[in-house]
Amino acid sequence: MTALSLKNVNKSFGAVHVLKDINLEVEEGEFVVFIGPSGCGKSTLLRVISGLEDTSSGEVMIGGQAVNSVPPAKRGIAMVFQSYALYPHLSVRGNMALGLKQERQPKAEIEARVAEAARMLSLGDYLDRRPSELSGGQRQRVAIGRAVVRKPKLFLFDEPLSNLDAALRMNTRVEIARLHRTLEASMIYVTHDQTEAMTLADKIVVLRDGRVEQVGSPMELYNNPANQFVAGFLGSPSMNFLPADRVGGPPGLTIGIRPEHMRLATDGRIQATVTYVENLGSDTNVLADIGDGAQITVRLFGQHSVTPDAPIGIDFDDAEALYFNAEGQRVNATSGAALAM
Amino acid sequence: MRQSRIKWHIVVFLAPAVLVYTAIMIVPLFNTLRLSLFTEVDQERVYVGLENFRTLFGDQRWSDSFWNALGNNFWFFFIHMLVQNPIGILLAAILSNPRLRFSAIYRTAIFVPTILSFVIVGFAWKLILSPIWGIAPGMMDAVGLGDFFQPWLGLEETSLTTLALISVWQFVGIPMMLIYAALLSIPDEILEAGECDGLTGFSAFWKIKLPLILPSIGIISILTFVGNFNAFDLIYAAQGALAGPNYSTDILGTFMYRTFFGFQLQLGDPHMGSAIASAMFGIILIGVCFYLFAIQSRMRRYQF
Amino acid sequence: MNKARGNPLNIAAAHGILILYTIIALFPVFVILINSFKERRSIFREPLALPDRESFSTIGYETVFNQGDFFLYFQNSLIVTVATLFFVLLFGAMAAFALAEYKFKGNTLMGLYLALGIMIPIRIGTVAILEMMVATGLVNTLWTLILVYTAQGLPLAIFILSEFMKQVSDDLKNAGRIDGLSEYTIFFKLVLPLVRPAMATVAVFNMIPIWNDLWFPLILAPSEATKTLTLGSQVFIGQFVTDWNAVLSALSMAILPVMVLYVIFSRQLIRGITSGAVK
Repeated sequence: MTALSLKNVNKSFGAVHVLKDINLEVEEGEFVVFIGPSGCGKSTLLRVISGLEDTSSGEVMIGGQAVNSVPPAKRGIAMVFQSYALYPHLSVRGNMALGLKQERQPKAEIEARVAEAARMLSLGDYLDRRPSELSGGQRQRVAIGRAVVRKPKLFLFDEPLSNLDAALRMNTRVEIARLHRTLEASMIYVTHDQTEAMTLADKIVVLRDGRVEQVGSPMELYNNPANQFVAGFLGSPSMNFLPADRVGGPPGLTIGIRPEHMRLATDGRIQATVTYVENLGSDTNVLADIGDGAQITVRLFGQHSVTPDAPIGIDFDDAEALYFNAEGQRVNATSGAALAM
Repeated sequence: MRQSRIKWHIVVFLAPAVLVYTAIMIVPLFNTLRLSLFTEVDQERVYVGLENFRTLFGDQRWSDSFWNALGNNFWFFFIHMLVQNPIGILLAAILSNPRLRFSAIYRTAIFVPTILSFVIVGFAWKLILSPIWGIAPGMMDAVGLGDFFQPWLGLEETSLTTLALISVWQFVGIPMMLIYAALLSIPDEILEAGECDGLTGFSAFWKIKLPLILPSIGIISILTFVGNFNAFDLIYAAQGALAGPNYSTDILGTFMYRTFFGFQLQLGDPHMGSAIASAMFGIILIGVCFYLFAIQSRMRRYQF
Repeated sequence: MNKARGNPLNIAAAHGILILYTIIALFPVFVILINSFKERRSIFREPLALPDRESFSTIGYETVFNQGDFFLYFQNSLIVTVATLFFVLLFGAMAAFALAEYKFKGNTLMGLYLALGIMIPIRIGTVAILEMMVATGLVNTLWTLILVYTAQGLPLAIFILSEFMKQVSDDLKNAGRIDGLSEYTIFFKLVLPLVRPAMATVAVFNMIPIWNDLWFPLILAPSEATKTLTLGSQVFIGQFVTDWNAVLSALSMAILPVMVLYVIFSRQLIRGITSGAVK
């Protein structure tokens, strides 16, 4: 069964068209990540799904039911907010129980569910504390716990890790992945962090300017991007783009090569001057100027001694190169012959 | 060694404010407390200890007036707490709805009475409620309540409550604004989390917003308390220094004014006036301390 | 608008309550204003009707101008208010800066001492203030009012301004020090311009109670030459209590300047209150 399906969903705020004809299906038990640059509409899309915003047109279905005019609390969703949005005047227990009390669940049931969530998230020792007495990571877990106790059909996460420091972010990421496995619940997760997207998602939805650019598994998107935007957005350092004819390709196309697919070669097709070297220990990023002010990045594994201002030759494996037309769309078959030359 | 050097700029920055404040506010305050321990005998100031207070609380001629004024003052305060603050909270809760249009216009209009002086407010209501002019009886007639009209300001039983309600009318803008500000400072995400938990409308107000604005309600209450216990102007403007009819609207402020300056046959007595001021000081101090130690320390202020 | 969330009935009820209260709030002012332009008979016959050609009359205003010295009162109020605001802002900002910026012995104690006056009303000390003003010969001058209101306004001003001054970046002030600016220059040239919004808030907060005060003008400066508008209208109305035209016109004239000030400053005032400057 589909946990969520969106049909031609549009959303405008006054004259601003924020979501344009979104169509999307989320399968039961799937972990879907919405990713895109800020302002792409990913948070708005999440809020439309939650019911905190209305659609301007189109249909939202959760668990097979149209929920367009159903208030958030009755949609069978639970949301984890970026700022955690814990009720400051309630204890951890009270925070988790409030939604259930509002549903008029029996007391015993509420207690059992809170205890279960607390155990799962190791919050047992903090149940009587207030949010202000907790650390950032603990607050985050309470926010997740508040969602878990409601046993929703669909979890919604709105950039839940963006307020945590790097180390905690990694831990919580692992915890969310574990939670997804144990609960076998459907989850939608909004982020602008591609590491989170790549590591957590069964399916990534890349959004730009209110449109879905591509939907697919993380590796599909990485290896087989549908367009130049997706190709450039995923991967760090990001993909290098050059006019194809500079490296002997067909004119009018843009060629894209990931930094790790480039190598140093004295007589390579690209001649460049090193402008900057980042030594990361495990690998080395070489930034080079190829003339006309264009820059490319070469990612070399291990440690290399490359000096700035030195001239270098760069080459790549044709099999790894992607081609895009002037509209940024990926082109493949037509240019195959040209590449063989 | 250089640390003991006086930093003159700090002195220069502080001096004007500290001097004016100390000379005009603190010194007179203590002087007033001191004056309450003296009396005048044959145009000479004589120290009498707590004699003035004994007169004030014990001598029937004085104590009746004092307890009357104090009781009236508490009633005045009670009406404010009972009417002003709930109305203020209600208006603020309505205004804080982000989807409400024209809220700036409503806010501005409802705040208008607060900026008017007591003199204007007192006379305006006196005219409106006056049976001679007939606006109030006329309007009540129009809705079929004409028989209920009474010259409220002129009757002993109703004049104090009427004045308190006029004062509420004037000042409702202040709790409204402060609560409005407190409501706005609640982050949207918390209210949205509540919405996802099924708390909307009244239950969202009752279970989320109200607990979060309790500290502001506390502050409003103490501000009201202090304001009410040194009120004077409205009563004086509407009923004169005699706080009529028959002292039924006399509060501590008017009582002190009359005592200090004298009125009609009674001679002014700065020492008894000081004694009343000292009593007011004590009452306000007790109220403020009660607020600081018993209420504020138990209330959490939430960091969002 | 929002099908899943908003309830049109609630919105309508909200507007209903607000409109009702707005009418309650404005009605008395409205009644006073319209009737001040009517002749005596229409005031009584049709108190709620707007003045028309037949009932229009400015007789009340003529009495006010002939009998009362309202321009002088207005001028007195203006002088007292403006001068007080100047001193409250200048002295208040200076003291607030000292408390917010420098760590010195007794800083906290000084802060508490100055904050006392927020809760303790200055009126309590009236008896001694009057004695002092009589002794110094300041009684029945505008200076006595300016001094009293300055003392009354300083505690809250210092409290609010020092909260704001704590937010001014230390780096900015230190950059100034490294550039060789004196502490005075830093205060006047760097810090003051940055806390201007807070100063405006303090000014508006102080303005209304000073303008409207009856107590101190009545006690400290009741002479004809120093009457403020509030006291002046109070006395005038007391004398002309049976001349309804004059009373209504005097009330309208007292309302007018405050309303003008309010219209000019209401955004500042409301922003000041809602910014949480006083909590």
